[in-house]
Amino acid sequence: MTTRTTTGTGGGSTAAPEPAAAPRSLETVGLSKSFGGVHAVDDATVTFHHGKINALIGPNGSGKTTFFNCVTGMIAPDSGSVSYRGRDITRKAPHAIARGGIGRSFQLCRVFPRMTVLENMLVAVRRDRLREMFTGSRKPEEVDKARALLVRVGIDHLEHIEAGNLSYGQQKLLELAGVLMADPETIMLDEPAGGVNPALIGRIGTLVRELNAEGKTFLVVEHNMDMVMSLSDHVIVFDRGRPIAEGPPSVVQSDPRVLEAYLGI
Amino acid sequence: MPSASDTRSSTAPDDTTGPGGAGRPAGAGPWRGRLTTGRLIRLGAFLVCAALLLSFPSMAPNPYILSAGVVVLSYACTATAWNFMGGFTGYVSLGHAAFFGLGAYSTALLIRDLELSPFVAWLLGGVVVLVVTIPVGVAALRVRGASFVIVSISFVLITLLVFQGWDAFTGGSNGLVVPRPFPELLRPEHHRVFFYLFAALLGVMLLAWWAIDRSQFGMGLKAVREDEDKAQALGVPTRNYKLAAYLISGTFTGLAGGMYALWFGDLDPIFQFSIMLGAYMVLMALLGGVRHLFGPLLGALIVGSALEYFKMEFGDTQLHLVATALLLALVVLFMPDGIIPAARDLVRRFGPQQSSIREMTAAELLERNREAAAEAAARTAGGTAAGGTAGDGDRTDDGGTDGAGAAGSGKEEER
Repeated sequence: MTTRTTTGTGGGSTAAPEPAAAPRSLETVGLSKSFGGVHAVDDATVTFHHGKINALIGPNGSGKTTFFNCVTGMIAPDSGSVSYRGRDITRKAPHAIARGGIGRSFQLCRVFPRMTVLENMLVAVRRDRLREMFTGSRKPEEVDKARALLVRVGIDHLEHIEAGNLSYGQQKLLELAGVLMADPETIMLDEPAGGVNPALIGRIGTLVRELNAEGKTFLVVEHNMDMVMSLSDHVIVFDRGRPIAEGPPSVVQSDPRVLEAYLGI
Repeated sequence: MPSASDTRSSTAPDDTTGPGGAGRPAGAGPWRGRLTTGRLIRLGAFLVCAALLLSFPSMAPNPYILSAGVVVLSYACTATAWNFMGGFTGYVSLGHAAFFGLGAYSTALLIRDLELSPFVAWLLGGVVVLVVTIPVGVAALRVRGASFVIVSISFVLITLLVFQGWDAFTGGSNGLVVPRPFPELLRPEHHRVFFYLFAALLGVMLLAWWAIDRSQFGMGLKAVREDEDKAQALGVPTRNYKLAAYLISGTFTGLAGGMYALWFGDLDPIFQFSIMLGAYMVLMALLGGVRHLFGPLLGALIVGSALEYFKMEFGDTQLHLVATALLLALVVLFMPDGIIPAARDLVRRFGPQQSSIREMTAAELLERNREAAAEAAARTAGGTAAGGTAGDGDRTDDGGTDGAGAAGSGKEEER
């Protein structure tokens, strides 16, 4: 497989050389977002692969998180488009994107601190009918599902604790479980290994792998190179708001442009 | 896991974890499941308080005290109405007096100009407020935090100026006399009737607050209060939820205003669209505890009674405002969560200690280890994707030592 550089000409979505049998998941075309004079995301055309673990790496300030926020609707891009599995989702509301099957975590882990662990899980329960919205929030089957997920990430014994009292690592696990509660098809993780101990990094990596085996697509922003290289199927390297290289981990690792961006060689 | 049905908890007051709801859908009431001692005490306390409240008109020594009671109840209504927005979503509106005034004036003008019967006018007044609240809410809820507070203040100032300036229609600063709904009643009787009318309105609000508090809608609102972005990312349509809460809150405030108009019989923009009134609502709710059903009511009983007392003792001086400011400072300093949580913590500190965490016996621990190992083995045998095996080994460890270790030690250090 060859490394392909994205040059960022707006219409680059036509028949790009995809690896065989990797349908598209999230795609952006010419996505841009500036804050004042800073081009945080600059004409980024990126395709993520469905069913794979995609990693997005890059030096600090390369626009990864802004890219993330544009894609999930938290901030509106200045120009460009975002589509998910062929449907345009540019400028859709965050909750609509979430309900479309994309779950996300936040860079500095965010939970609802004054709600219990179980309540944190139940927030993600989706009710569409007005009558259901106004009935009790603790249906047995929903509670069971929440508990099963808490068991899965290993914090089920904490379900009545207020989430703000959990350790940082436990909050990370809770955030992941909460994302899973909505049954997303694609999961975007912003620095899942940031600020947690090596044992927990291992556990999170294992969970990601298991979930991927069950069919979930992942899109992971991460600084921990060991984790990225061991975990991901497809790596996209960001620098100055746009992708500069992509491919399998082994190829990206030795790409001169990547070394330059990271090490300034 | 056996832990799933364990409900020994001190943090979740409204545990409804029992499987009893399986046959009946939600809505079977707060006493679903066992009647525990705690619930009996709470039910008893509630009934006693309700009885005391409802017998107040008979106990009031003179009509003046009785009318003060009506004022306090009207405060309780507004504070509870405010709490639909402030308590659930954490959006602090200082401009809720605008809804109060709009409700009062709509009711009065509908009676005066369309000659509707008083209580039809009152209900329609609520509808008017609801309709006004929609565009106001859409605009105001575009911003958060301090900006929202400022927008809410500007709203009440705008309505004040409009109602003062448009004196041909509203009577302006000369006031507006509202025809009495029960002209045949003497003053004390009139107070007594309105005491119960306000109590009924309050009851409806409390019931609505309680229902929302335990609903999925309420869960979404509370998630907005905690972290709005996060709630959105989990699929909560926060904008619509906030708007719905704002409409409910504004409409109830308007209904309280309309009821006040019918009772008091004389409206003046400076009092109905007063920032002080909005500030009282916030103070009362904060004092009692915004996360609690009865928080605003308790706050209103304290602040309202104090206000009436100061007005009675010190007449026209502004001393009651000084006292209110002091009270606000004390609340913010010492009870940022309000009286109810502070009292609950106190009771808990001196009451029987319950561990909030499930203690595991050695046997349970062993069982847990075994289960985790079996699970991992099953998964490995199932032949998961590449890399799965190494991870599963990892997981076995977690299920046993790490998980149980956290159960035993992790919480003690943090609590």
